Amino acid sequence: MTKATTLDVPVGGRADPARMMEGRERRFAAALLAPAFIALMATTTFPLLHLGWTSLHRMDLAMPFMDGFVGLDNYRELLGDPRFWSALGVSLVYTFSTVILQVVLGLALALLVNGMKRGQALFRIVAILPVVLSPAVVGMVWRTFMLTPEFGVVDYLSMTAGLGSHNWLGDPSLALFSVVVIHTWQWTPFAFMVLLASLAALPEDIYEAARIDRASPWLCFVRITLPLLRPAIVMVIIMRTMVALTAFAAIFTVTGGGPGTATEILNLYAYRKSFTELSIGYGSALAVALLIFTLVITGVLFALRRAK
Amino acid sequence: MTARGLVQLEKIVKKHGSFEALKGIDIEIRPGEFFALLGPSGSGKSTTLRILAGLDAPTSGRILLDGKDVTGADARARDIAMVFQSYALYPHMTVAENIAFPLEMAKTPKAEIAPAVREAAAKVKIDHLLDRKPGQLSGGQQQRCALARAIVRKARLFLLDEPLSNLDAMLRLATRVELKKLQRSLGVTAVYVTHDQEEAMTLADRMAVFREGEICQIGRPADVFAAPNCIEVAAFIGSPPMNLLTTRSTAGGVLIGGRHVPVAASLEAGRAVVVGVRPSAVRFDPAGIPVTVEVVENLGDAAILDLTLDGTPLRARYDRFPLPREGETMAVSFAPEDIHLFDPTTGRRI
Repeated sequence: MTKATTLDVPVGGRADPARMMEGRERRFAAALLAPAFIALMATTTFPLLHLGWTSLHRMDLAMPFMDGFVGLDNYRELLGDPRFWSALGVSLVYTFSTVILQVVLGLALALLVNGMKRGQALFRIVAILPVVLSPAVVGMVWRTFMLTPEFGVVDYLSMTAGLGSHNWLGDPSLALFSVVVIHTWQWTPFAFMVLLASLAALPEDIYEAARIDRASPWLCFVRITLPLLRPAIVMVIIMRTMVALTAFAAIFTVTGGGPGTATEILNLYAYRKSFTELSIGYGSALAVALLIFTLVITGVLFALRRAK
Repeated sequence: MTARGLVQLEKIVKKHGSFEALKGIDIEIRPGEFFALLGPSGSGKSTTLRILAGLDAPTSGRILLDGKDVTGADARARDIAMVFQSYALYPHMTVAENIAFPLEMAKTPKAEIAPAVREAAAKVKIDHLLDRKPGQLSGGQQQRCALARAIVRKARLFLLDEPLSNLDAMLRLATRVELKKLQRSLGVTAVYVTHDQEEAMTLADRMAVFREGEICQIGRPADVFAAPNCIEVAAFIGSPPMNLLTTRSTAGGVLIGGRHVPVAASLEAGRAVVVGVRPSAVRFDPAGIPVTVEVVENLGDAAILDLTLDGTPLRARYDRFPLPREGETMAVSFAPEDIHLFDPTTGRRI
């Protein structure tokens, strides 16, 4: 390599034209990239850093005279805050139940539709509808149309089935269940579509080979389909986990975190603390905690993906 | 146990909508036989194999294995092993896991699986590759892995769907020999689908020649070669294929190049016939019918001469050196026993 570089040095001592061209091209490329890069930094990285900086301050709009740098005080307070731990618990329950439901239901639907000879296109179109709706709209629709006691579709079905009328969103024991159902309803089609595409791409001949090898349909699924779908399933889990951990709009419009703190996920708690109680410094610390939490879980999932 | 692997297909019809892929075929394959289904693509040979395997159901007809009707039985219930043209290896399993899969599905005790896998792998010489995944194997090694997976279970019937077609020419020749030895040593009935008549000729004990969903002829390769029963079989078997000349019969012979050529069969004079002569049966004889050499295809130890005889093309195998030059005039003759006669309207052998 050294030999090659020495050979590149021009004899006359003048700058190598090839290298000059390269440098000029690099500067030009940097100039082209700069606006996008600066915009990205300004809208993502800077707010993030500012959030971290704010979380080290006491910033209370109700008591501005107390504002100032407090170091890690907000975090210390957070560790002793039962509402933080409760919100973390709700976040965990919300995330894991919605992700598991989405993957299981999405996979079941994908298997069902993949086996259909006709009408697959129709299912794909129907499936995409919930995904393209805004979560806020979905929340409103469910709150008014589906879950209203006595008049909502779900409550009507519950009454018809002899289960009685329930206050689906007002009852603390049912509210979390209801928001989990709403999230699952909206996002299962995403898992369904990704898994259906992966299923359709699996070669047909290996299933014929498995039939010849006398594998039962169940063993075909466990020994062939699942291992081959694993990359897609893991990808769906990662993507849906990240979104579920930071869900906001649907819960905000349906319950606003209530009743009490029954559906208050960490994201909502940070929002309420910052913009309802106007304690922006502590709210920022909550947001940073959520960020760390999301990064850790994502890291674990990616490690699992790489394993084996 | 001795008569294991008897296959009977009775009047098998397969329709795809209004298209008849198989028009009622009958085959009986004897235990231990190496039976080839030969034909051009789209002739129904692969459809027949898939129906035999239980992957597809026939529209009508019966399939009997060892005398038992299995027409309605799924592939899982037929105790059949198959090598696919695409090999169809499980991509996420190692070679060892691929070979072990049929044994696991048959609930073979764990302790017996490992030795059986090693034995099957050794038979096809891939026992050093057991830890690899199919993606890390060459085409030939994948093919061997598919073979090992098929032989490990000792099924009663062994189906091969063009297993050599994805290999390069050298490997194909070598594998062909090994396949034959393997089948003999296992003593298992094998049904082999191919479009390559050379493969069928060299491997098969008997073969069925397919054309457009029908079987033209069933017989030992040598018999089919020596006496093709219709024009289609005559044109398909042999390389280069048989010369077919449309002409008329004379008393006790046929007219070729304006001359009377005697034939073995008795024919009434003046009827239209198709005369078939294998390129290897064209004799060069100075007293014969004059021909012009158009093209010389030198194969090294012999040559294929593209001739014209009275305006009609004729191919001949020539193994005397020096070879004639293009444009030269030569003369050929035909021995009565080398002449095959076919009816131009029915295509049948006369």
